[in-house]
Amino acid sequence: MTTLIDVPEAEPGIVTPKSKSKAGGGLGKYIVIRFFLIIPTVFILVTLVFFLMRVIGDPITAAQGGRLPPDVLAQRIHDAGYDRPIFIQYFEYLGQLITGNFGTTITDRRPVAEMITTFGAATLELSINAIVVALMVGIPLGLIAAYRRDKAADASLRFFAILCYATPPFFSGLLLKLTFSTWLGWFPVAGRASTRTELAMGSLAAPSGIYWVDALRSGNFTAFGDVVSHAVLPAATLGLLTAGIFLRLVRTNVIGTLGKDYVEAGRSRGVSEFRLVTKHAYKPALIPIITVMGLQIALMLGGAVLTETTFEWKGLGYQLVQYLNARDFVAVQGIVVLLAIIVAVTNFIVDIIAALIDPRVRY
Amino acid sequence: MALKKKALHGVIALAGVSALALTACTGPSGGGSSSAPAAAGPIAYGTTDKVTSLDPAGSYDNGSFMVMNQIYSFLLNSKPGGAEPVPDLAESSSFTAPSEYTVKLKSGLKWANGHTLDSKDVKFSFDRQVAINDPAGPASLLTNIENVSTPDATTVVFKLKKANDQTFSQILSSPAAPIVDDEVFPADKILPDDEIIKAKAFYGQYTIDSYKKNELVSFKAFADYKGVLGKPANDEATIKYYASPTNLKLDIQQGNIDVAFRSLSATDVDDLRKDSKVKVLTGPGGEIRYITFNFDTMPFGTKAAGADPAKALAVRQAVANLVDRQAIADQVYKGTYLPLYSNVPSGFLGANESFKDAYGDNGKPSTDKAKKVLADAGITEPVALNLQYNPDHYGGSSGDEYAMIKEQLEKSGLFKVNLQSTEWVTYSKASRADEYPVFQFGWFPDFSDADNYLTPFFPDGGFLKNHYNNPTVNDLIAKQLTEADKTKREADIKDVQNALAKDISTLPLLQGAQVAVAGSGVNGVEKTLDASFKFRLGTISK
Repeated sequence: MTTLIDVPEAEPGIVTPKSKSKAGGGLGKYIVIRFFLIIPTVFILVTLVFFLMRVIGDPITAAQGGRLPPDVLAQRIHDAGYDRPIFIQYFEYLGQLITGNFGTTITDRRPVAEMITTFGAATLELSINAIVVALMVGIPLGLIAAYRRDKAADASLRFFAILCYATPPFFSGLLLKLTFSTWLGWFPVAGRASTRTELAMGSLAAPSGIYWVDALRSGNFTAFGDVVSHAVLPAATLGLLTAGIFLRLVRTNVIGTLGKDYVEAGRSRGVSEFRLVTKHAYKPALIPIITVMGLQIALMLGGAVLTETTFEWKGLGYQLVQYLNARDFVAVQGIVVLLAIIVAVTNFIVDIIAALIDPRVRY
Repeated sequence: MALKKKALHGVIALAGVSALALTACTGPSGGGSSSAPAAAGPIAYGTTDKVTSLDPAGSYDNGSFMVMNQIYSFLLNSKPGGAEPVPDLAESSSFTAPSEYTVKLKSGLKWANGHTLDSKDVKFSFDRQVAINDPAGPASLLTNIENVSTPDATTVVFKLKKANDQTFSQILSSPAAPIVDDEVFPADKILPDDEIIKAKAFYGQYTIDSYKKNELVSFKAFADYKGVLGKPANDEATIKYYASPTNLKLDIQQGNIDVAFRSLSATDVDDLRKDSKVKVLTGPGGEIRYITFNFDTMPFGTKAAGADPAKALAVRQAVANLVDRQAIADQVYKGTYLPLYSNVPSGFLGANESFKDAYGDNGKPSTDKAKKVLADAGITEPVALNLQYNPDHYGGSSGDEYAMIKEQLEKSGLFKVNLQSTEWVTYSKASRADEYPVFQFGWFPDFSDADNYLTPFFPDGGFLKNHYNNPTVNDLIAKQLTEADKTKREADIKDVQNALAKDISTLPLLQGAQVAVAGSGVNGVEKTLDASFKFRLGTISK
């Protein structure tokens, strides 16, 4: 049997009071070790990103070379300090990062940190929506596939899962847009909200930047509906990418669990197969999903770049592409470093959650 | 079994509902289906242009200038429909001496924040442009200003370095000349957009009501505006920014925006022309596309193997005889560009079709003429031509454009073209460092005057640095620049074009058209598609 990810089956009943107590002592140590592992991870990422960005030359020349007279260009390079030894620039950059200074974009002179806070909320919103779609699609379909294992429905769902996982978001996004926006006219073509809603969101005091939250907070249900209609296709595009993995994972784990003694015992007592799947087998099967969800964050952020660009969803991924096109490598460096930190921190959080749920993780 | 089936159906239903839960909420907003007419509310304008900075000293691009045109005024400006500068903040303006241009301001002008708008603001605006001299700004347009003085609160006197500069009135309505509030803007640095918005430093048809850079800008009509543009035809407008021309096209088709302008692809425009629910409107465009010859390195150029100026000229003339501009305009650009037969595009004072008269067959290519000119120069073998173009700065169709030029040249059997492309950062430097013998370039005017297609290009090789230098052309260009008599100036400009057509420093190919798409029920867009190249939201209503 083909599996997309090799995840150990969960052992139901392993979390006993005894084992909890035994493992509980190691949890603090585990968290501390995991936390300190983030630092070298981020450090390596920052270093790699910095030097990779410099391979193509200094950022001023990359963004504005050819548009400026050579003397003006040279002056700007000097003013920005890009004519100094690369290692001095590197250590200065590290110093800046520690103080939260990601630099200022070259093309439109915006502090990268400010840009990150402005657009980060949009990416967060898209990621939340996508995870919701992934769970809502992946888990029920995984259960169906397990219940109808080795039947036509199961084969179809497994194929669907592979399709979801293998189709790049820019392609699935275009297909969804073409079908549901252009042909059927059910959903908007692009953007996070209509102009009217954008203006309403912009006039809110202390907005969170996550539109559906802001719309609900302000009691504007028309705006909420508008935001949701804009979110459907981007969320589906990004969510389906992960839904395929969840589907396979749930199916594999539920089938594994269905072979356990306690399930067999239930079966021998006349408990229906459906009840066995939905009541007894699925809960343990969900534990690995939490771990995998953490792994998927990186995939999702990568997918967000493509999805945001396809749907003009003005988040960090969209901005990243805009700045790449403008060759503004200060902005690109800032966004990439931030995304790297997000991935590292998210994995840390997921590891902790996984350790809390499943004590075996700590060993 | 029946129970099992029911249960299964339940799970399937759950999955279905899960997958489509969000989709059930609403349909598309803002107009929805493709047949929806423009909804009431602010005029919604969509573009793929970007704002670099709202500070006039910090940007020199279409996206920034479009917003500036709504919120700032100029001493002189053009009314929609024309490009002739007329008093805007000014009451009157004229040369009061050969090197002195005097402007009298309207009295009682107030910024949207209540500050007084007087001659101090004007002097401050020009002085700070020059002082800041930002590389991304338009300060270079002000090089002819010696100094600015303000004898009183409503008088401004510009002392010019070059007397009788006939382009100066255009300079006063150019991107270098929006007037800014001296109580808000710093004299020596760029002011961030958010601070301009916060300080309400506006004096134009509109003020900015809310601003999300390169996402959404909303405008409200400014009731106290007393400039030449008058009261706008709408009270509110918005600008929505797009990254993808395709999304821009789909949104105008679905009625989510009222106007789409800059920049739809040629195929999108062609497609929209077939859509009865939108109107495709065109106006004169100032953008030109051309081939530049490097007089040193082109075949037979002064520093090339077998250098021979006569043969080099014959090569340029043969290319001029073979290029089919109409075919490129029709097949590559679907009518969004028009053939260009002179260095000064049509619509400008003195523009003629000097290349149409001199080469080809009345605008069509002529292989016979090309053969003859090469044979007369003693060139018997096909000429190897290294032709460079840029794929990322002049639009995605450059590749098709230059593939067609290669085909046109090679079809004659007179040329063997080696077509190459290089990305912009390298290209822009290398093209002016003698690395490309024959190469693509394009130009968008700084202001609407024929001189803007001459002075920057040809005297002493101009910014092209292609080693072209003809003293006769230099003198003619200098003469037209200071000729106060319009008829005489027009004749001079024609003479320059005819002289340039003989030398072929650059080969004009195409002139762009301004293309805007308006939704159903949207009026007034055509009024602003004029030779000033300033898009005014104030002309639009629905």
